[in-house]
Amino acid sequence: MTDSGFRSAEDLPEGVSEHLGDLILALADNKRLLGIRYSDWLLGAPSVEAGIACSAMAQDEWGHARILYALLRDFGHDPAALEHERASGEYHSSELLDRDVGSWEEFLALNFLWDTALSVQFEMLAESRYEPIHYKVRKLLEEERFHFDHGQGWTARLLSAEGGRAALTEAFGAAWNACLCWFGPEDDPLIATLAAHGIVRRGAAGARARWLERVGPLAAETGLARDAGSGWVSTREPLWEGYLARRRRTAEGGPDEDSLARVRGDRNRELLMD
Amino acid sequence: MDFGAVLRETRGGRELPPPPAFAEPAADLAERARRALYEVADPEFPISIVDLGLVRGVEGDEEAGSVTVHLTFTATACPCMDFIQWDVRERLLELDGVLKVEIVTEWDPPWTTAAISVRGRKLLRSVGVVT
Repeated sequence: MTDSGFRSAEDLPEGVSEHLGDLILALADNKRLLGIRYSDWLLGAPSVEAGIACSAMAQDEWGHARILYALLRDFGHDPAALEHERASGEYHSSELLDRDVGSWEEFLALNFLWDTALSVQFEMLAESRYEPIHYKVRKLLEEERFHFDHGQGWTARLLSAEGGRAALTEAFGAAWNACLCWFGPEDDPLIATLAAHGIVRRGAAGARARWLERVGPLAAETGLARDAGSGWVSTREPLWEGYLARRRRTAEGGPDEDSLARVRGDRNRELLMD
Repeated sequence: MDFGAVLRETRGGRELPPPPAFAEPAADLAERARRALYEVADPEFPISIVDLGLVRGVEGDEEAGSVTVHLTFTATACPCMDFIQWDVRERLLELDGVLKVEIVTEWDPPWTTAAISVRGRKLLRSVGVVT
């Protein structure tokens, strides 16, 4: 890391700390909830191998969430309270993760589109001047490579199957706007501030373009993306109505009762150790 | 059943291969500590955390009686992270003059199988694990 890095949140310029704390909390909450959604498919996935992959991916996501919640101590949060004591409306996770998804196609929207959207945000942090996250991102991204391979493989597989394309088009279409909005509006002051200080590599538009570069080639087959020559673009404009900048989601609410109990580990409390 | 108490108060019964034979006595506290870590097992494989390449560095302060261990783990979701850290602390606090153990977790560069020692590879091969 260069000498111009920030060793702790205390060293960050005014205003940056709050924005970065919000971004890390959103990443942590999404990781934790995504792990729950992956775990929903340990049994019932189309193949035993896919179930095992879901188990491994769930474990990865919880590991990433644990690291990120611990990091939030640097921003004045109590990680234990963040993990175990919040109400549903306080979560900064996507509406896509609020409840169990009903089909494998919807699951793939999470695995391929949403998980990749989170990874792209981590890519943006890979050279961050905020050193505590900089030194964790490489490991996280390395583990995420397999998630992308899994989502990509299954998406390609269903696109080539009878009826698969229509079902995927519907599922991807339902998740698409949340993914586009995750990166924030082009003039998002939160991300722009972080980019200006070298905390993230690119602004909201750049991150969204990177995500489209990764998912575009397959999403194009559902009509949601196209190759514009100079890069992959969405065929739909993001709809910002109801967008909550700090929570980085486009709808009020939060995880449903069952998800909340699981994500907070309510039933595991008796096993918690000091 | 209080599983927390079970985990705190009991130990697994697996035996580790003996640590390597060192020709010279340890020169300082850091080296004594590093050698002691050959007696801390990875909870999943029958090799030490040193041979597995989890120990990135050890520092010792004789005067303060403190040891700092830089550790990494094979995966961010390694379910054994807490166990390993407890075992590291427990073993190092048994050393003469050690009153305090600090563990610093490092993720960069990420752990890969290249970090496993030659001795570790042999031990793993002997139990049917190819690296």
